[in-house]
Amino acid sequence: MARHHPDNNLLLEYAAGTLDWGLSLAVSAHLHMCNQCRQQVLHLNHIGGALLEMAPAELPSRETFRRLMGKIEQFQAGDDDNPAPGFRPAKNIGARIAKIDRNISDDAAFGNLPKVLRKLLQDPGLKWEKFSKYVRIARPATGQNGFEVFFYRIARGGSMPQHSHSGLEVTLVLNGCFSDVDGIYAPGDFLIREGDEDHAPTATEDQECLCLCIEAAPIVFSGLRGWLNRPLSYFRESSFS
Amino acid sequence: MQLTHKRDDNWSRLLLRVGRHRDPHAFENLFNHFAPLIKGYHYSRPNLGLNAEATEELVQNVMFKVWQKSPSFEARKASASTWIFAVMRNCRIESIRRHQQKSPGRINVDDIWNDTTDHQPFVFLQQLRSEDFVGHSLQKLPVEQSQVIKKIYMEGKTHGEVSTELGLPLGTVKSRVHLALRKLHQSVTR
Repeated sequence: MARHHPDNNLLLEYAAGTLDWGLSLAVSAHLHMCNQCRQQVLHLNHIGGALLEMAPAELPSRETFRRLMGKIEQFQAGDDDNPAPGFRPAKNIGARIAKIDRNISDDAAFGNLPKVLRKLLQDPGLKWEKFSKYVRIARPATGQNGFEVFFYRIARGGSMPQHSHSGLEVTLVLNGCFSDVDGIYAPGDFLIREGDEDHAPTATEDQECLCLCIEAAPIVFSGLRGWLNRPLSYFRESSFS
Repeated sequence: MQLTHKRDDNWSRLLLRVGRHRDPHAFENLFNHFAPLIKGYHYSRPNLGLNAEATEELVQNVMFKVWQKSPSFEARKASASTWIFAVMRNCRIESIRRHQQKSPGRINVDDIWNDTTDHQPFVFLQQLRSEDFVGHSLQKLPVEQSQVIKKIYMEGKTHGEVSTELGLPLGTVKSRVHLALRKLHQSVTR
């Protein structure tokens, strides 16, 4: 069971729908792995439902209802035999897994990953790059550029090069474990680091460690290894900047 | 016009009828109740750039999604209000992204906010009591607490934006949220 979680303020922004896309991705993936936080989000949705019921009523135009019914009729006419969205079973998962870099698809582990992350990992355009001796990274196409989002895999016993970051960094452990100066982290653990904290996550000896990482500002690698800085073209003020 | 705050599971029954039988009469009743609330939720307060026209379109989109996704509504998991709130929240996120011309990418809003089609094992503790309690307790919150909660939900603001707008330290905004959540019977374990 995860021992490190997003705090209530973060979950509230997520439930209310005001949290940035990149951070929401990490929260969503954590929720898949954490019953406790999922329950909390359900409570937070109840607040949303109550606020909706308490909202002052403003009558919509008659045109809105008319257009809506037209849209529904059109949908019904065209689409009666298709299942509702959300009910389509994933097809050819087996074939897709074969395409992915073999190291990542310990089939059972892959199958347990949150669906939203599987979707990103299954992108045939996703490239795993060797970042350092023990670390490989991949940047998924997340449809946002407010945050740097990447997966990283640390080979068993290996370390991520020592680094610090000037902004916010969220790490979600997906598979395997790593240790750093503050402790040992296991699948489901959701960690936030801020400011100048130098750390070098090290995978345990028994298996590769796979993580999702979200960063608000370019990180600075200590030592010889540099990091390709990307300009941030969109950044919305958040609680954590 | 302020609506009564009695929790009425009539709406849940209607939503089930729409989901199972595509009942147009039930749907129209749902529309007459929820469409004005959806509009009022977004239009009665300053928010993220939704003008009158965009709000009408949002109402239309939300109610369409409600109709479309209704087969996945399970009354034991949440009331219709909570479920429709989640659909509405996703529609708003999507419409803001469209407005910002974000590229669609491989994942969409329902992948990240997936509670309406959540098939995870569900723990049934205190479910109905929780929803009732929230409604009553919200009305009793001190104004400084309900204000921040409403700004986050209804005006689509982050804690940081609320802090800037009200000229309060971020920590103060966060602790008002904490106090409010505790009163709303939410677990504050961290």
